[in-house]
Amino acid sequence: MNLPRRSFLKAGASMALLATAGCDRMPREVRLLMALNSKETGPFSSPAGSTIDPITHVLNRAAFGPRPGDYQRILALGKKSSDKPGAEMSPAQLREAAEAYLAQQLQPEKLQDDQAEYAAARFETLSEPLGELFEYQPELLQNELMRATLARAVLSERQLYEVMVQFWSDHFNIDPSKGDCKWLKVADDRDVIRKHAMGQFADMLRASALSPAMLWYLDGRVNQRENMSEKPNENYARELLELHTLGVHGGYTQKDVMEVARCLTGWTVRSTGKGPRFQIGKVEFNPAHHDFGAKEVLGQRIQATPETNSKQERQQLGSHELERVLRIAMRHPSTAQHIATKLCRHFISDTPPPTAVTAVAKAFAETDGDIRATLRALFATEDFWGSGGAKFKRPFTFVASALRATDAKTDASLEVIDFLKRMGHAPFNYPTPDGYPEQAAPWMGTLLWRWNFAVALSQNGLKGTRIKMEALQKKAGGEEGLMAHLLGRQATAEEKTAFHESGAGLALILASPGFQRC
Amino acid sequence: MNSAQHFVSGNRDERRTLVVIFLRGGADGLNMVAPLQDDGYYRARPRIAISKSKAVPLDGFYGLNPLLQDLEPVYKDGQLAIIHAAGSEDDTRSHFEAQDLMEHGGLVGGGWLGRFLRAQTQGTAGPLAAVALGKAVPECLRGAPAATVFQSLDDFSLGKEQGRLMRALAGLYGRETDALGAAGQYTLDALRRVEKLRGEIYHPSAGAEYGTDSFATGLLQIARLIKARIGLEAASLDLNGWDSHFGQSTVMDPLMTRLAKGLAMFYKDLGPALETTTVVVMTEFGRRVEENSAFGTDHGRGSVMFVMGGGVKGGRVLGKWPGLTRDVLEGPGDLPVVNNYRNVLAPILTRHGAGDKLDQVFPQFELNPLPIYG
Repeated sequence: MNLPRRSFLKAGASMALLATAGCDRMPREVRLLMALNSKETGPFSSPAGSTIDPITHVLNRAAFGPRPGDYQRILALGKKSSDKPGAEMSPAQLREAAEAYLAQQLQPEKLQDDQAEYAAARFETLSEPLGELFEYQPELLQNELMRATLARAVLSERQLYEVMVQFWSDHFNIDPSKGDCKWLKVADDRDVIRKHAMGQFADMLRASALSPAMLWYLDGRVNQRENMSEKPNENYARELLELHTLGVHGGYTQKDVMEVARCLTGWTVRSTGKGPRFQIGKVEFNPAHHDFGAKEVLGQRIQATPETNSKQERQQLGSHELERVLRIAMRHPSTAQHIATKLCRHFISDTPPPTAVTAVAKAFAETDGDIRATLRALFATEDFWGSGGAKFKRPFTFVASALRATDAKTDASLEVIDFLKRMGHAPFNYPTPDGYPEQAAPWMGTLLWRWNFAVALSQNGLKGTRIKMEALQKKAGGEEGLMAHLLGRQATAEEKTAFHESGAGLALILASPGFQRC
Repeated sequence: MNSAQHFVSGNRDERRTLVVIFLRGGADGLNMVAPLQDDGYYRARPRIAISKSKAVPLDGFYGLNPLLQDLEPVYKDGQLAIIHAAGSEDDTRSHFEAQDLMEHGGLVGGGWLGRFLRAQTQGTAGPLAAVALGKAVPECLRGAPAATVFQSLDDFSLGKEQGRLMRALAGLYGRETDALGAAGQYTLDALRRVEKLRGEIYHPSAGAEYGTDSFATGLLQIARLIKARIGLEAASLDLNGWDSHFGQSTVMDPLMTRLAKGLAMFYKDLGPALETTTVVVMTEFGRRVEENSAFGTDHGRGSVMFVMGGGVKGGRVLGKWPGLTRDVLEGPGDLPVVNNYRNVLAPILTRHGAGDKLDQVFPQFELNPLPIYG
């Protein structure tokens, strides 16, 4: 929802009066406004170990890195009342604390998230209904999408949720530069990806199949067969099987692709420049463009619909084939395997361990694609806990984690986005449907811009982004505390030396190999 | 090959650089490379056609606009190929639509050059792999693994304290034994090369003297980056203002002079480095065959493309001339597009390492590559 400016001002004026009232009785606008300045952190403790411990590990993988104070907040989750204050925690206790954090993160709806909501609400186009989006310049929409995505990654309390939003944005990638996607991607991000990121995979798959942006991006809108001489457009059908469900070696054939395409003929989306303006973006099924013949998809028969059926029946049966096809693809064992492999690559390692993949795939299959249950299974594998510091941050994670670690106040300005563009990892800028690569190798060429960003951030050289280096170091308990906070472990002797010799300690640590890993 | 070398030779055996020059506004191919032997040309343009006596003869049929004569030696050297009746399938005759579709490579997400760089650099895109000279990264580079607007060499530095910071980073990255260590070393090396460049005044080779216009200085910067071997794989540069609706000659003449002079100097300056460089010149559409009442031409279809560089079997005008008879002309009287721009770009991208990924670069299009390399 938009925050109307007038009620916002009113809210500000009455804030002082309300400040003494209980937080939950305040109007939402007031709470959001108060959230703005309520996040000053006090002194905080940093990890004491020489390697990445479980708490830092979950902050690295299930979040976009630690903010000041995060480590100690999670540490507190593992403390019992019987523990002596100040006593060191055992490895088992650290793991328990980290698990408690994951349990919280797996229920994002229970986490208050005023600061991120407030930041995102500034990007007003993102809450516009589908039809209204066409009133805006595409460039504005794209900029607001990118900025809001970064702002949420930096500010949100629902970190795992934001991580999953990014994961599914890649999985169901759409480059908004194609046709009407310029406008429609905003709705796709909101109504497909963000809506279902921690829900049911089947729901997300269906929402994506019927997303106006996806119908544009993968040409579903022109997939039709008015007569038998017309060839269906296979683009979406292929990517549905290859990328969204079974995976490239998932056991489907070219015939399956063609049959899926036939099942989906007739679905389309109203485009700009055609018909009344208020209907642009509307998704509909046109039986006259559907192929009603018999089909066989992945070994399952879909019966022909005789021409003797009524118009209504044909409408219903024809459009229902989409549901059938999605269910067949979604329940295919290769789909569980494919999603599990991708999740394990994201959360565990570029070379996903087979045992973990098997466990995660099992949970996916048994729960019919319940995303939370699937993640729970992943976080229960020893492979996950044993993979600390082994991944290379993708540029977006690098930037978000640097902003979080330094407690930067940022408006996620285009200057920051520009760095992401230079690193080839700005949100919603990937051209092909496979989404940004997950592995380290394609990102190895981005160090120059990471170092540049580290220098710019630490010198307050980015417009709209401010850090307080001295205060941060003080709160971290000095240089060593600061380094441990940034690296998620105690700095090595070499890192300490480099910190001093560089003449730019903060930039050096942010640019160092240790900060590129997670 | 270790990882560091892998970076240096960004695309397999030797690093190649593709320079894409976009003539925005719809450049009139018919008056740049005139079909001297087609009477239809002179009938349609009684006042603005390039006369046979003034044209620089190329092959007996075509002649260069005299303002492009600096390109003649390159053509005669066999390093410049011309493709006529070239363009895209888009027939909106709208600058925006036609440019957008051409830069994307059709109704596709991302730019063709961006997709090419993604496809061919599996794991190796260097930090300075792609630069755009100008104000913004053009749509053709959208989605590239690393693309940056090149304004000055100062952008490629770590600020005033660079020396100390680099030494400290060299210490830390030097201790890493994996790909990250190699990437760090490579990046430090690139920074040192840029640092060295910054301290030098650039002297173009072979007495090349670039002009002072932004097109010429852009080419100079590109030549400089190519010769410094910092891993440049793609550069884009625009030459704007070709929309010659009236007073065609006043609009186009200075642009043609700039184009020809710039390219000729670049050719001279690069010398042997041209072997691993390709320059492509393209425009969104050509112009109406018939001149209009204002000594200009309106938006048309087919235009001309130039390809200059290593391995090109130049000294030829490629593609079949369709003629200018009424049955041939398209729509309101336009030179049809016989040679789709993708079929010109495809063999070039193959030479630059596209491997078997051309269908990703130009999806939904049946390629029929032109024999640019013979």
